[in-house]
Amino acid sequence: MMLSITVFLPLVGALVVLLAGGRGEPRDREPLIRNIALLFSIATFALTLWLWWHFDPTTADYQYVERYAWIPAFGIQYFVGIDGISLFLMVLTGFLTPLALLSSWESVHKSVGNFSFFVLALETAMLGVFVSLDLFLFYVFWDFMLIPMYFLIGIWGYDRRVYAAVKFILYTMAGSVLMLIAIIGLAWAHSAQTGVLSFSLLDLYNVQLPWRTEFWFFLAFAVAFAIKVPLFPFHTWLPDAHVEAPTAGSIILAGVLLKMGTYGLLRFAFPLFPDAALYFAPWLGLLAVIGIIYGALVAMVQPDMKKLVAYSSVSHLGFVVLGLAAMNIQGVQGSVYQMLNHGVSTGGLFMIVGMLSDRRHTRLISEFGGLKAVMPRFVAAFLIITLASIALPLTNGFIGEFLILIGAFKWDWRLTAFAAVGVILSAVYMLWMFQRVNYGPVTNEKNRALPDLTPREWALMVPTVAMCLFMGVFPNVFLRPMEPSVNRVIERVHSRQAARAQAAPAGRVVHATPRLAENEAPARGRTVTPPSISDND
Amino acid sequence: MTDYAAIIPLTIVALSAIAAMIAEAIRRPGERMPIAGFGLIGSAGAALASAFLWNSNAESFGVIRSDNFALFINIVLCTIGILTMLFSHETIERDGIPAGEYYAITLFGLCGMMMMAAATDLLVIFVALEILSLAVYVLTGIRRASATGAEGAFKYFLLGSFSSAFFLYGIAFAFALSGSTRLEQIAVALSSQAAGAPSTLTFLTIGLLAVGFFFKISAVPFHMWTPDAYEGAPTMVTAFMSTGVKAAAFAAFVRVFLYPLDSLQTQWIPMLAVVAAITMIVGTVVGVVQTNIKRMLAYSSIAHAGYLMLGIIAANDTGKAAVLFYLLTYAVSNLGALGIVALLGSAENPHDELRDFAGLWKVRPGLSALMTIFLLSLGGFPPLAGFIGKWYIFSAAVQEGHYWLAIIGVLTSVVSVFFYLRIVVMMYMTEGVETVRPRLPATAIAGLTLATVAVFYLGVLPTKVLELASESIGMIF
Repeated sequence: MMLSITVFLPLVGALVVLLAGGRGEPRDREPLIRNIALLFSIATFALTLWLWWHFDPTTADYQYVERYAWIPAFGIQYFVGIDGISLFLMVLTGFLTPLALLSSWESVHKSVGNFSFFVLALETAMLGVFVSLDLFLFYVFWDFMLIPMYFLIGIWGYDRRVYAAVKFILYTMAGSVLMLIAIIGLAWAHSAQTGVLSFSLLDLYNVQLPWRTEFWFFLAFAVAFAIKVPLFPFHTWLPDAHVEAPTAGSIILAGVLLKMGTYGLLRFAFPLFPDAALYFAPWLGLLAVIGIIYGALVAMVQPDMKKLVAYSSVSHLGFVVLGLAAMNIQGVQGSVYQMLNHGVSTGGLFMIVGMLSDRRHTRLISEFGGLKAVMPRFVAAFLIITLASIALPLTNGFIGEFLILIGAFKWDWRLTAFAAVGVILSAVYMLWMFQRVNYGPVTNEKNRALPDLTPREWALMVPTVAMCLFMGVFPNVFLRPMEPSVNRVIERVHSRQAARAQAAPAGRVVHATPRLAENEAPARGRTVTPPSISDND
Repeated sequence: MTDYAAIIPLTIVALSAIAAMIAEAIRRPGERMPIAGFGLIGSAGAALASAFLWNSNAESFGVIRSDNFALFINIVLCTIGILTMLFSHETIERDGIPAGEYYAITLFGLCGMMMMAAATDLLVIFVALEILSLAVYVLTGIRRASATGAEGAFKYFLLGSFSSAFFLYGIAFAFALSGSTRLEQIAVALSSQAAGAPSTLTFLTIGLLAVGFFFKISAVPFHMWTPDAYEGAPTMVTAFMSTGVKAAAFAAFVRVFLYPLDSLQTQWIPMLAVVAAITMIVGTVVGVVQTNIKRMLAYSSIAHAGYLMLGIIAANDTGKAAVLFYLLTYAVSNLGALGIVALLGSAENPHDELRDFAGLWKVRPGLSALMTIFLLSLGGFPPLAGFIGKWYIFSAAVQEGHYWLAIIGVLTSVVSVFFYLRIVVMMYMTEGVETVRPRLPATAIAGLTLATVAVFYLGVLPTKVLELASESIGMIF
């Protein structure tokens, strides 16, 4: 019951906000509305912490499971539960939403009630995605999430907000509808094999698909998630959406929404279609590395800070996908950890950019310079978050990237070598930006009298900086509870191949994927390779 | 008495139409009379009667059968009727449309639709088709002063007559094949023939009957009349015919193609698949460039016809039930959206251009929110009715392995989201001019409430209605 309460509390808050707003837009109600929204988001965060407190870290099983029939005629259930992976993503969502609301305290004045409504509705959708264990339910949350984000970008964004909002919604929807077809196809396949129509993830894990079907279904899932991540070359919506979104939108977008893509790969695409996943893993890894380097190079030349941070997300998320593609314990744990890190540190960077943009109404790097003398406390926070983003040891980013690189090295050292270049490049573009903004003489007269952190901004920076350091020093607080769950996913992905390897008697060639087996003619020199091997599915 | 049971819903609607006519006749000039009330009573009564007849499988005169399939469509049609009446009450008078005629003709049209859904004889289907068509032709041109109305009505009438002739010709061939116009006898005759090679005659029968249906559901390439008629007609008439005619025509389409012509599936499925694919693509792609909301929704209705056809192509139980459910979701969403367009209009300005919606959010936040909900439902977003409808239809297609059609379906729905969002962009993200805010009458509020509740109910808790839909198809097919 606690899980459902956590998921739907923000939605309740959204409705309360709407009622409190009443008719029209009386200015004097704004503080009330803001405080109600903040209260609900903090309460939700507290609930996610409660879930963490009572979470049993020793088991890989789903906890807080709730299961009710929803549309019994189609085997659709309201089936939710969390394991060590989704737990922390929920906590991250709970952590970032109050910060997002707080960050727009002074920058959003247009229709505050609706703004808070959409942020809270979005939170319910995000939490829903992480807890769903029924694919239909998952898709409902996944698709519903687009609507509040669309409005957040489209109404409260910057100049080209309408273009960015429409591009965001169409791009992500185009990917996800194909996934819907694959979900339906998978459920019918399950029905054909067992006679029961079910959308439950646990049932669908057991479906055995013919290779061709698995190939296409995996692609449909992977493309939907790759767009969300965004993996190169599906990233073109991201800079637009990020740059045009209001600060709160960017924080949530970078902090949580992008993680849904990688979470989806880990929870759905890989374990549902293990053979295809292993077949495509090198390609995913390659695209991830291209994204790491490409994102970094493009970030380097951006004159706009927000765009720089946006492209840095492409690069950072490339690391996450690389770790997933490696599919070993270090790689995947590093990936999950890096999802959390990126949420905190990039969320923090967007807050920083938002603060500068609130003060100066510009985000161009060339407009700033020498801020260290003017606002030292602000710059100190900026520095720590920047270092976390670069992955300096003792910050959270280091743990994640290090684990990913270890995992990836075990899997494919060439890709890892290129990925490591990305680590250096990220230091280049982040530090260069940091230097141009904060060091040197104050070149622009307008910057001379900028106020330092306000109490509200302290409230934003302190938790963010604290998390960057805490996660860098005590990674085991997070890594231990997620370990059983990560292990289980890896086992599931590798199990089918392992079973095939055992089934095949010694002396026969066992291929990495059935596809390769099909292509290889039996008479190609090796010992007897009967075609039946490829018919295991 | 049992002989007449099946036609009770029809009779109730017909009586209310006659009452509306008489009321208009005895009305003194200038006297206000709540004639819409007759329509409301008639539609609600027919819905109730249909609910009572559930599971009775009553048959009248051997040609009208109130099986659950027909009754489900009846209830959909009555919902359409009720919503139309609620929204029309204010808007019809405002536009200077003669109320008595309008309501009487609408109700006769509704009567024809119900008859079409329940008819089990090709000739009766044809008669019903003509009843509803004539009513809709007249309604399209009911604003005699309007040039676009006259153009739309004339186009609709001419093309409609052609298609009726095709349909009639198809009936003749069906009779030649089987010696009967009764669906069950045709079914028997055709299934015994199906073993042999299909003759030219069967091709002609299938083709000509299909053309008649394609025209009524506005499938491409028989859709030319749709944008003009929808744009020219008063907005509430557009709402009524885009949902009602579609529901009735699809009911008969399913009944004819999946019952007597079921044994010839291999012949008609490829043809229908091609038409459905083109319909979905043309409907959405051309819809993108429209700047008039009614034309835009006309193209959207063409696309929705394409989606609905997937249910027939799947030709399984899921598909048949999906068509029924989809018709209901489409009806409430589309009526809601067009109802809002109608309510926002005034005698001088129909408020149907895209730019009329600029900045509406500032002046009418409630109506904008509802409009957004209806449009998102049409676009198939969860947790709204349209999502479940689309999901159900695409499930049926995927179940039979029609992956390509399902993929075209989902991709075109993404395109359609683009043009639905154009209205949302106008309402929320564009600065507009301050306009007068017409007060919403109580009837309209009732209608909007009904449609909104239905959109959420069908989207969040669809179980009950899904079960009814799957119960509905068990009895005849």
